Amino acid sequence: MSGHHISSARFLWGVAIVLFFLTFLTVAVTWIYIPGPWNVVVAIAIATVKALIVSAFFMNLYWDSKFNILLFVMSIAFFLLMIGITLLDTLFRVDPIPSF
Amino acid sequence: MSQTSSTEEKLDHLKHYFVDSDQQFEASKLGMWVFLVTEILFFGGLFVAYIVYRAWYPELFLLASEELDAFWGMVNTFVLIGSSLTVAMAIRSAQLNQIRGLIINLWITIGLAITFMVIKYFEYSEKFAKGIVPGSAYSYEGVAHEKANIFFSIYYMMTGLHGLHVIIGIGLMIWLVIKAKKKVFHSGYYTPVEITGLYWHLVDVIWIFLFPLLYLID
Repeated sequence: MSGHHISSARFLWGVAIVLFFLTFLTVAVTWIYIPGPWNVVVAIAIATVKALIVSAFFMNLYWDSKFNILLFVMSIAFFLLMIGITLLDTLFRVDPIPSF
Repeated sequence: MSQTSSTEEKLDHLKHYFVDSDQQFEASKLGMWVFLVTEILFFGGLFVAYIVYRAWYPELFLLASEELDAFWGMVNTFVLIGSSLTVAMAIRSAQLNQIRGLIINLWITIGLAITFMVIKYFEYSEKFAKGIVPGSAYSYEGVAHEKANIFFSIYYMMTGLHGLHVIIGIGLMIWLVIKAKKKVFHSGYYTPVEITGLYWHLVDVIWIFLFPLLYLID
């Protein structure tokens, strides 16, 4: 019965309020000066926490079968692989900027 | 006898090739997760384009994102998170056999999704009026960078594809409302609500990344 977890209304509202707060935080950190690249790191870190909260408690991965979690994790792994391999090319080109 | 017939009626949805309702539900959900994996990699290609071009032209992204209004981006983030909440509440209603609550929550979700698209429409039309259009027709002079159109092409591709997903989501929710009104769903069968919910949450997750990456660079 792993797929039939029923969250209480209170719990779902709590998750949403945390997400609203983190959205506000994402905007608030741009009001203070953070030397780059750290401003990007902070923005992505908050977004990642929000994405994990959504996938764990709204998409119910926290209570779900391990196989669905594995699929999700593998998609992220392959996405990172796609970024990594592409950057190995584009960051180290002799003539880095193409005509477009 | 009446007990038996009501049990049979509740198993209308069960396909003969599944052992029971739970197995069918888990199989549907697994299928949806496989689809979501392809969606993540689909959007992933655009995120890679964003990363490559931001690494090449970091100053362009700082300049050009000032044309995007962070306030409306934030409002749209709140709208989408709110709609994720109402979808989760819709699934909860279905699980508890509260079909009226299911329909109400689906309508609120549709309303929020339309709100998102209306805000997006005003954002797009304001930019189109200035000549900020994707591709080579770009004619806006306000961004002091020769590659300004690249940022906006990436912006339109990412938010456009995301917007298309929102529109498809609205269509799916309307389909769910129609099915719910026909009393198709009950606590023993709400699979379409569950997997549409998964889809909708993923659309929300993608926006969670698009918002800081496009609107909040400074």
